[in-house]
Amino acid sequence: MKTSINRPPTPDAEEDQDHQPTLQEIINIKMIESGEKERLKELLRERLIECGWRDEMKALCRAFARKKGRNNVTVDDLVQVITPKGRASVPDSVKAELLQRIRTFLTSVSI
Amino acid sequence: MSGFNEDNMGSHAQLSSQFFGDLLDSIIVDVASECHRIARLGLDRNLEEEEEELRLSAQARVRVADPSNSGEANSKYVVDIFGQTHPPVANEIFDCMNCGRSIMAGRFAPHLEKCMGKGRKARLKVTRSSTAVQNRYSQGSPVSTYSPYSNSTSTSRLSNGTSSGAGEEYSNGTFQEP
Repeated sequence: MKTSINRPPTPDAEEDQDHQPTLQEIINIKMIESGEKERLKELLRERLIECGWRDEMKALCRAFARKKGRNNVTVDDLVQVITPKGRASVPDSVKAELLQRIRTFLTSVSI
Repeated sequence: MSGFNEDNMGSHAQLSSQFFGDLLDSIIVDVASECHRIARLGLDRNLEEEEEELRLSAQARVRVADPSNSGEANSKYVVDIFGQTHPPVANEIFDCMNCGRSIMAGRFAPHLEKCMGKGRKARLKVTRSSTAVQNRYSQGSPVSTYSPYSNSTSTSRLSNGTSSGAGEEYSNGTFQEP
């Protein structure tokens, strides 16, 4: 059966015991625990739908699927297809709004 | 300590960008996963048809708005929404039920006018016609030439106000009030 998601191997437990969490990991945990990460993700999703970004990405996927054959497509394929264009085509206003909110969160947890 | 603050702002900006990138990647994976599902389940068949219809309707709208396409006066043959062309005058041929001649459909109305008599010539024709029933002939009334129909239609059409049966006739033009 074809695996469709590349997963890194699960790390062994012993290796992590003296591992110091990086700043990024700390913030990540704080974001998740406070629920802010979920809110931010929903906000970003909504903005991207409104501006048509999601429809563009879906069109790219459809074109790719038609070319490669519907049953030969994997999720990884589609991720690779969308990622470069997707990252580049986020509208500046959307990006600014999200960055502003993230920065506000960072200052509020006084990092 | 401005140096520390600057570092702080710098790392803030960098951290923010990183988190934004993570959020975006996560949403990209969501979209890819959904499109994968649509592709595998064949749900994009319907989407393709909708796209095709949208495109066709946009084309049609352009064609309608285009002034060079308008008006039967411009071209002899105008294409309708099914792609059929119709000649400006209907050309099916059938027989007139009044005089028995072969008439073209597009010329039927003017023919009927002459044949059934809005004009002088038609009334003269009736006196010679073998199929017409003559009894209802009265001066100056165009109604009289409707005589072929007198037996089948109600007589109230031919004489004012009478409600008698279909077969009765008034030869001298006097009408009985009910």
